Amino acid sequence: MANYAMALDYKNCINCKACEVACKEENGVLKGADKHRIWVGANEVKGEWPNLDIVSATFVPSQCQHCEEAPCQDVCPTNATYYNEHGVVLVNAEMCILCSYCMNACPYDARYVDDRTATVDKCTFCSDTRLARGETTTACQNTCPTKVRTFGDLDDPNSEISELLRTREHFTLKSHLGTKPKLYYLT
Amino acid sequence: MKIEISRRRFLQGSVALSVVGGTSLGLTSVFAESEEHGSDMVTTKTGTGPATEVATLCEMCVNKCAALARVENGVITKLNPNPMFPKSRNMLCPRGNAGIQSVYDPDRLKYPMIRIGEKGEGKFKRVSWDEAYEAILNGTDKFPGMAKILDEEKDNRSSFLFCAGEGMAEHTFKTFFSAFGSSNWLNHSSLCLQTVTSGYGVTIGAYALADLENAEYVIMAGANRAEAIVTPDTMDIFKRTKGRGAKMICIDPRFTNTAAKADKWLAINPGTDLAFVLALTYVILSEEIYDKAYVAENFNGFEEYKNSVLSNKYTPEWAEKITTIKAKDIYEIAREFMAHAPKAVYYPGRRSTFSNNDFQLRRAMAIFQALSGGIDTKGGLIFGKKLKLGEHEGLEPIYARAESRAIEKVKGEKGQSGYEDCAIVAGGGSWISWRNRYIEDKMPYKVRGMFIYKHNPMMNMPNIQKTAQMMKKMELVVAIDTMPTDTVMYADVVLPECTYLERTDPVKTFEGAEPAIAQRNKVIEPMFETKPVIDIMRGLTQKISKTLFGITKKYDEDVRDELALLESDPLSEDNNATTAVKKTLEQREAEVYAEFDMTKPFEQTQEEINEHIVKAIYGEGAVKALEEHGVFYPNMDRFFKQISANEHQYYPEKEKSYRVGNGKVKTESKKVECNLQAMAEKGIDPMPVWRDEYNFSVPDSKFRLLTGRHAQFTQSGTANNTVLLDLMSENYIWINRKVATEKGIEFGDLVEVSSSIGKTRLKAYPTEKIGPKMVFFIHGFGEESEALTWAYKNGGNDNAVIEDAIEPVYGASSMHETNVEIRKV
Amino acid sequence: MMAEAIKKQGIKEFITSIPFKKIGLKELFGFEKTPVNILIALSVIAFLAMFAIGVTTYLMHGHHAYNVTREHPWGLLIAVYIFFVVSSTGLCIVGSLGDVFGFKDYMMISKRAIFGSIVTIIAGFAVIAFEIGHPVTMMIYNVLTPGLTSAIWWMGTLYGLYLTFMIVEFVFLLKNDMKSAKIFGLIGLLVGLAAHSNLGSVFGFLNARPISNGVFYPTYFILTAFITGIFIAFIMMGFRYKLKFPENAKIMLTNLAKIQGLLISILIFFVTWKMLTDIYGSMPDRADVAIHILGSWTFWAEVILAMAIPLVIILASSGRAVNTLFFASLSGMIGVFFMRYNLVHDTQLKPLQMLKKTEYQLSPEWIHYFPSSAEIMISLGGLGLCLAMYYAGTKFFNLDADEHH
Ligand SMILES: Nc1nc2c(c(=O)[nH]1)N[C@H]1C(S)=C(S)[C@@H](COP(=O)(O)OP(=O)(O)OC[C@H]3O[C@@H](n4cnc5c(=O)[nH]c(N)nc54)[C@H](O)[C@@H]3O)O[C@H]1N2
Ligand SMILES: Nc1nc2c(c(=O)[nH]1)N[C@H]1C(S)=C(S)[C@@H](COP(=O)(O)OP(=O)(O)OC[C@H]3O[C@@H](n4cnc5c(=O)[nH]c(N)nc54)[C@H](O)[C@@H]3O)O[C@H]1N2
Ligand code: SF4
Ligand code: SF4
Ligand code: SF4
Ligand code: SF4
Ligand code: SF4
Ligand SMILES: [Mo]
Repeated sequence: MANYAMALDYKNCINCKACEVACKEENGVLKGADKHRIWVGANEVKGEWPNLDIVSATFVPSQCQHCEEAPCQDVCPTNATYYNEHGVVLVNAEMCILCSYCMNACPYDARYVDDRTATVDKCTFCSDTRLARGETTTACQNTCPTKVRTFGDLDDPNSEISELLRTREHFTLKSHLGTKPKLYYLT
Repeated sequence: MKIEISRRRFLQGSVALSVVGGTSLGLTSVFAESEEHGSDMVTTKTGTGPATEVATLCEMCVNKCAALARVENGVITKLNPNPMFPKSRNMLCPRGNAGIQSVYDPDRLKYPMIRIGEKGEGKFKRVSWDEAYEAILNGTDKFPGMAKILDEEKDNRSSFLFCAGEGMAEHTFKTFFSAFGSSNWLNHSSLCLQTVTSGYGVTIGAYALADLENAEYVIMAGANRAEAIVTPDTMDIFKRTKGRGAKMICIDPRFTNTAAKADKWLAINPGTDLAFVLALTYVILSEEIYDKAYVAENFNGFEEYKNSVLSNKYTPEWAEKITTIKAKDIYEIAREFMAHAPKAVYYPGRRSTFSNNDFQLRRAMAIFQALSGGIDTKGGLIFGKKLKLGEHEGLEPIYARAESRAIEKVKGEKGQSGYEDCAIVAGGGSWISWRNRYIEDKMPYKVRGMFIYKHNPMMNMPNIQKTAQMMKKMELVVAIDTMPTDTVMYADVVLPECTYLERTDPVKTFEGAEPAIAQRNKVIEPMFETKPVIDIMRGLTQKISKTLFGITKKYDEDVRDELALLESDPLSEDNNATTAVKKTLEQREAEVYAEFDMTKPFEQTQEEINEHIVKAIYGEGAVKALEEHGVFYPNMDRFFKQISANEHQYYPEKEKSYRVGNGKVKTESKKVECNLQAMAEKGIDPMPVWRDEYNFSVPDSKFRLLTGRHAQFTQSGTANNTVLLDLMSENYIWINRKVATEKGIEFGDLVEVSSSIGKTRLKAYPTEKIGPKMVFFIHGFGEESEALTWAYKNGGNDNAVIEDAIEPVYGASSMHETNVEIRKV
Repeated sequence: MMAEAIKKQGIKEFITSIPFKKIGLKELFGFEKTPVNILIALSVIAFLAMFAIGVTTYLMHGHHAYNVTREHPWGLLIAVYIFFVVSSTGLCIVGSLGDVFGFKDYMMISKRAIFGSIVTIIAGFAVIAFEIGHPVTMMIYNVLTPGLTSAIWWMGTLYGLYLTFMIVEFVFLLKNDMKSAKIFGLIGLLVGLAAHSNLGSVFGFLNARPISNGVFYPTYFILTAFITGIFIAFIMMGFRYKLKFPENAKIMLTNLAKIQGLLISILIFFVTWKMLTDIYGSMPDRADVAIHILGSWTFWAEVILAMAIPLVIILASSGRAVNTLFFASLSGMIGVFFMRYNLVHDTQLKPLQMLKKTEYQLSPEWIHYFPSSAEIMISLGGLGLCLAMYYAGTKFFNLDADEHH
């Protein structure tokens, strides 16, 4: 039983969006700009040309946080959203009634509707593709040119991610909401 | 485009493939419009069942990253990075990931076609390969064949132009060009990196690589590595900026993603980098902080250059007025650079020529780098090592009637040796000056036919009106492409190549500190009736070779002499073995033909050729490694290791080839050439100097137009890729926010951009990321071919407005010498 | 109790003994042909037709027929559903005044109100059925794998129970078994209130949405339900008596109006303090959203139509201008519609993701939403259903109080 999580060395990110395409191709995500499990956010740079604030233009790669206290799970009326044995938050499409409550409840905008099944879909940590085949990384991590992501098991003290979280400072997004996200941003 | 097979049918074919692994329809959407939308809206999910993995190389752009293609039930379901290739360091960029779409693009070319409508109208008829070859040889009622043209041109092989874009199989096509015997070869280089390769070439002997894995200080000027991806530079540098080992200064008129990742960004007035470098040089010369020992040993013409820079007073204060970069910053950068030397890099870049002084700029950059001593050394510019490959026999017959390249020497001016178009003509030629002279009837002889391989000149050359004129004037245009591009629309015969994932390409060696050989292996069988270019060349040469030799026999004095010699061989009447003699005659004619037999270089398959040239040097094991892993280098099995999920070792540190020539440069003299007298004879400044005419003025109410790359697109080649269009649906024009406000232009407003040569329309992006006197938009959008469902008229086409300015040294196209007006529509 | 009653009678008899008028088709569609009635009849027919069209569009295109998006997943149908179920709860409260709490004055409206609460909630369910992607799956897994932490689960389940209790109560009312009616009425009321506050908590639990998060909505929902119930009571009675109220109706309505005056005052007090705390709390994603809401016309439509107009008339006439209050109640119901729409929309106003995800886009600011034609048609269809059922009810049942004492 692993406890999967991801650490992001987000300062490496160049906003190339290779991760977004890799996710779509690996997981058969529908085409369409708003059909995505993963995204990279950017701010419009602050300041006036040519005095621009470089720091304000940081890129923030993100996806489902696989919250330990996931609001999306709490609100799901049929338990279609569930934690699997590795702490990954998943949706069982058979059971999803498309009430969209979870989309409203997820503080990270991590969910969207898959039109083929008319159910909600989200990042699965590649559970039913790569992990199911015994691979050890996700598609988004694997393809990244600047190697932003490290995926791994928090319960294994020797895993790379455990080591990273021990040795590097990090923060999580909207942690004040008590969601206990498992996407760690390394500073 | 009217092809006899409907897109619907293709779609059905490909849909059946692409829904593998897709889920069933939900209750509520059983009536949904899966017919129209469902199908092409699906990507293939990878499965957990049996799959094969084929090691291949990406060809979505010039970088050739190593990929592992996952194949399930004959369908490519995923492209993954191949960790074994040191150049691509286990990554695939967005385009590399979206490469699958190029295979399953419903618009792709599927069958050979010949033109049945007017030129450029896009009306074609599907034909068999043989009919297509036949049409090339003998024409149709719509266009003349090659035989007729060559006959009329009396076997002047140069009456055909050959042009190609960059690609692994460009070599195969070039082999055809050589065998055909034309002198007119044009490739992308005069639209791309001609001046930078040549500038560095003549100054330090090679277009060197930058060791961004170890550099401590990097000036990244006019190179947008976060968006214009070049491997391994993109992967190396961005992990190290922001106080993590390397300080990067980004010099760019725009605030790019590279600027966002830099430690400092300075907006430069476009086209003035030369003044910036000269001022940096001034600082290190006047403050004597350059590497004196290195200079003493490795420079030619140092004193002259030093005098020139100092006496011309290229001070930072002088440069500030030209570049708008503060003198204080220039002093600081020069000093910091030298403080970090030799682990400091003035990044050479790889890009189109932007302004007319580009060649001098590159020379000045190379000299500045050399003054720091950071050459052929870890953390500086490096030459690296290159692994040898064996040879594959080509065919280079000499046709007596073939004219030399269609260029003209300058007449009149005494002591000058250049050409009408430019001072020096490089191997790739000067595309736009060739085109312009062609449409102006200024050719020394008639050029009537054209072969185009993996190249889209309609989209990629400034002033598309002129390119269209050229395409129309060409009597026989043969295009080998994968997509129905704007250029293909002007073709008479269209030969569909299979995509890079459906073929094995020539094995290639990649130099660097960690050199390797890599090979693209065929992932799936070519779909429809497409073929690899080598097969196309085989089929075509089999069709035309003999007939063309017949024409040569008719006009070529040398061949006639040779054959006459044979014919006049005394035949002894009394010998009753007449037939035997006759046979010998035929055989001897065959011997002459053998020199001209165009089918020869294409006899073997690509796989056989690759095996042959690898085995000769590295043995059977290397051949196997290339088939299995796509990559080979000596000791790979020992050296290559995974260090962590994200890191690999290719070579142990001590085996890396940072230093290969003991710091020596690669010019013939082994010295850095500051002062090139040979250039002076051609009317070119022998040393980099700033000239008044380099000051480009932008009239009020106009804007200088800049062009460039985006991380999710490759020039025109990806404009129809639906997965990439999800990431960015079209290009927008960057306009300084204040200017936009003054002009009442808001985000998303449609604007018309016009110049002296034409106009285009696209949406507006008012932003602080660009200065007030310029505008920018991404190159490669706004295609006109209706056969491209998604690319057709999507966004603005920069080459519809960019004027065809020609850089004087190599005749490269200067992309940023155009002023435009913008108007809200 | 029902078991008892059934045991006594046997199920068949129990059902067949429910009093209803045996009327023919002609009678069913027979009504006084006044211009207003004809207009209402035509509207109902038009609404039902729209329902059919809207539903067909939905069945063909799924959620693409709606203007709901990733950022604004809940649209008009959720608002209309809430509108109906709140109306139902409100009518249940009003109906309970008489038969549950025994306030004699209100006896005369009990049956009508309880029937009204049944048709409104059915209309609500009819609308939500076409918003929930898989209603059948819902019924299965709501039972198999109940999401006990989900406010929607509780709300849905309790409303289901509530509907059952309401029907039973209504049956007993029809049968004039006031004791059983009282018991079922009480249970129904309690379940309804529980369901209703859970509906409030559907929003209150959203900690992703600071503007809705907290205890406010669960309580506010009960309050506004009562207000809605009174508005509808006025409307139903107005139609019943064609604005020529008998004295006892006048007394009841005047009393209701007084209660309404108090309730609306409390509501205004609530809303004012909610706004003030939202804004002065300066909490990000709360204060800015509240200010944005203050600038939207739909908010002011809610305030003016549902609060200001009715309250002014009640205060000015001490609740005695019952005819004017009939019209004020129509205004109030339109206001209540905006109240529901605002609740749903305002919750989603603020993007959860404030960064630009693509290069050429403006930085996300406020999420825009306007219902699609299918959404509007299904919503009006819900209204049509509600009116049609109510009309049929007036034909089949005696909704006036029986003169039994
Ligand atoms: N994603 C992606 N990557 C690519 C390609 C692609 O199409 N897409 N193409 C490949 C090819 S063929 C090439 S040649 C390279 C090109 O690689 P680059 O040369 O790095 O790319 P460009 O966008 O052409 O130009 C680089 C930057 O120069 C800036 N610039 C313009 N004028 C000036 C100037 O006068 N001075 C300075 N200092 N800066 C200026 C532009 O704003 C731009 O940001 O990219 C390669 N990599
Ligand atoms: N205005 C402006 N013009 C520019 C530039 C700019 O920045 N601005 N950039 C310049 C630069 S740096 C360059 S390198 C050139 C690039 O110019 P091109 O070399 O023309 O490159 P692409 O636009 O990528 O077009 C490649 C063509 O090859 C086809 N193709 C792709 N794969 C295959 C294949 O496997 N086989 C065959 N046969 N065909 C294939 C594609 O369909 C497409 O038609 O453009 C130059 N032109
Ligand atoms: S692939 Fe890596 S660098 Fe590119 S956008 Fe994603 S996280 Fe950023
Ligand atoms: S990020 Fe959103 S979808 Fe993912 S677990 Fe947390 S609440 Fe659920
Ligand atoms: S939409 Fe599906 S997954 Fe989300 S809360 Fe509703 S039933 Fe659960
Ligand atoms: S972990 Fe897998 S599913 Fe999640 S975003 Fe990355 S690629 Fe997509
Ligand atoms: S940089 Fe991207 S497109 Fe170019 S070869 Fe590499 S993966 Fe392919
Ligand atoms: Mo290029």
